[in-house]
Amino acid sequence: MTDQIAVFIPPHSNIAQRLRKRFFSSAMNSVITIIVGLFLAWAVWNVFNWAILNAVWASPDGTSKVCHGIEGACWAVIDVRWRLIIFGLFPFEEQWRSTFACIVIVMVAIMSCVPFFWKPMRLGPLWVVGFAIFYTLMAGGVFGLSYVGPADWGGLTLTVFVYAAGVLIGMPTAIALALLRRSELPVIAKTTGAIIDAVRSLPLVSILFTAALILPFVLPGFLVGDKIWRVIIGFALFFAAYQAEIIRSGIQALPSGQEEAAKALGLTYWQRINRIILPQAFRNALPPTINQFVITFKETSLIVIIGFFEVLASGNAAFGSGEWSHAWVEVYCFVAMIYFVFVFSLSRYGAYLERHLRVGQH
Amino acid sequence: MKFMKPLAIGATAALMLAPAAHAEFGATLKTIQDRGSLSCTGHNGSFPGMAEVDDKGSWIGFDIDLCRALATAIFGAFEGHLTIQPTSWAQRWPSLQSGELDIVIKSSGWTMSRDTDTSLQFSRPYMMAGINYATHADNGSVKVADLDGGTMCVQAGTTYERYAVEHAQANDYTMEVVPFETTEASKAAFLSGRCDAYMDWDLQLAVMRATAVDDPESIKILPDVLSAEPLGFVMRQGDDQWVDVSNWLMSILLLADEAGVTSENVDEMKANPPTPAVGTMLGVTPGVGTRIGLSDDWAYNVIKQLGNYNEIWERNMGQGSAYKLERGVNGLIRDGGILHSLVLD
Repeated sequence: MTDQIAVFIPPHSNIAQRLRKRFFSSAMNSVITIIVGLFLAWAVWNVFNWAILNAVWASPDGTSKVCHGIEGACWAVIDVRWRLIIFGLFPFEEQWRSTFACIVIVMVAIMSCVPFFWKPMRLGPLWVVGFAIFYTLMAGGVFGLSYVGPADWGGLTLTVFVYAAGVLIGMPTAIALALLRRSELPVIAKTTGAIIDAVRSLPLVSILFTAALILPFVLPGFLVGDKIWRVIIGFALFFAAYQAEIIRSGIQALPSGQEEAAKALGLTYWQRINRIILPQAFRNALPPTINQFVITFKETSLIVIIGFFEVLASGNAAFGSGEWSHAWVEVYCFVAMIYFVFVFSLSRYGAYLERHLRVGQH
Repeated sequence: MKFMKPLAIGATAALMLAPAAHAEFGATLKTIQDRGSLSCTGHNGSFPGMAEVDDKGSWIGFDIDLCRALATAIFGAFEGHLTIQPTSWAQRWPSLQSGELDIVIKSSGWTMSRDTDTSLQFSRPYMMAGINYATHADNGSVKVADLDGGTMCVQAGTTYERYAVEHAQANDYTMEVVPFETTEASKAAFLSGRCDAYMDWDLQLAVMRATAVDDPESIKILPDVLSAEPLGFVMRQGDDQWVDVSNWLMSILLLADEAGVTSENVDEMKANPPTPAVGTMLGVTPGVGTRIGLSDDWAYNVIKQLGNYNEIWERNMGQGSAYKLERGVNGLIRDGGILHSLVLD
């Protein structure tokens, strides 16, 4: 603890003083600073060299010839293959549809982050309209749009769709599961608990595999539906099981006086849940909820196992040709950047929400 | 792909619990014709040479062209009559059994457990996944025995290690086996010059040659085949008529190759068939289609649109592709390979 006091920086000190105090306060610290600094500079310089200075950015003839014998990154692969990564197998001439569909879903997601829409009467219609537009654009078959089956959907659009649909179905399910698990009837509480624990103890891959491939054997024909919906429901179920426990933890963190006071005021069950319990529970559970959202986004990449061409699979296809297979690092960097944009925005939004709702400042 | 093995076993087990998905004679073709399209396998990503995706998101590859040939045989054209379902390795059999797929054409080897326990049925092999050696071109070897006294890099504990030892014993040369923990490590060791030879499926060697080195000429694939796994079309057990369609499709592609019928000259050949068999094949004399539930011009359509076996090979794996793989063991029997057509009478 004394060390911390020693490096405490008065607000008035100038930069040079601060640097000295932070990084060069003793001979040992100076050595460490210099070694780490040199290593960082070396690493940054190498990455800069590879990614920017010696990189090839475009391929005028659409082949990988420009990348032969270069030292840096071959970003030309992105130049030539980016549409494959973003849209997957979607028919080339129709990819504007996939573009708009993806934008619609992202816009709807952004809009539902604005406090104005935080009412069931606004959020519900927003998503229904959003999904309707998305589905019309992607599947077509109406308004003169040609039909494109889900087997041809792919890339980023598919990832975003599966994620949005999974979370959207999963969230209400999670709330229901959390409330049912706290039911005063032991049968309901125990059954719900068993369901949640069972789902949580299964790997997501096996749930997806079962939903996509095994269910058609046991379900009657009219219930089978398209593979993508079975997968989304499996995905939502998995999300719901985890999220239900997060919400329950938020509920249980509330002082019991809250609910008792609400009861004493004569509020009905739904009034208590809607106005007293859930708003506070969500506020308590916000950090783990954002965490769960982030994890779930990254878990969408697992649907590749059951033959969906999500963004990682289309990235794999982008470098999986004789022409481009040397450029896998570049493709993975590009895909990582896409994931980063989404996940980083999500976590920044989480931080904004925490400030907005003053989490931790009761 | 190792982590998928338990998954695949689980899926297989689940399949055996499910009601046995046996197909009736002729049911598969009828379903496809009613639906108006064939549902065939793609890949969940890319499997170079067999199923990959071009800049515009369209499938290309040897397996893909066979799917197209099959759709063309049934409908006269594959455009609009073929759904390529992206399919992972683990997913192949459940998707086939559930009816999501009509056929699996996905570099799948014919094994006894697949043939019996998993209730699958295989067509005659359309390709041999031959296991060959690659070596550095500058050592001048033209056959494996020239590597006498050399070293080979291999992943420890695999069948490849055994092939190497057995082949060396049988052919009276010595080869020092240098085992590595992983395939990647052994490949990297070979490429860096640590070993004289490296063993794999010849297509994988060709992919490595085309992609992992600056000068593809610097690596030579030796013609000796140490072992081979037969790849076939895979279908649900029980529909012999569908198996006939598959076998005759393959046979026609090979017959056209043998008779020199190509997508270029198929019209001349049809107008003026050089042999009675070619005449029958192209539907000049009836029978090639009606006997298997197709139209008599199906073979003509396939050859016109996709070409014969050799054209499909050269386009996807041979000189027309990045891989420049020789036919080798997959050559016609008269060229020293093992492939031949069935007798068309």
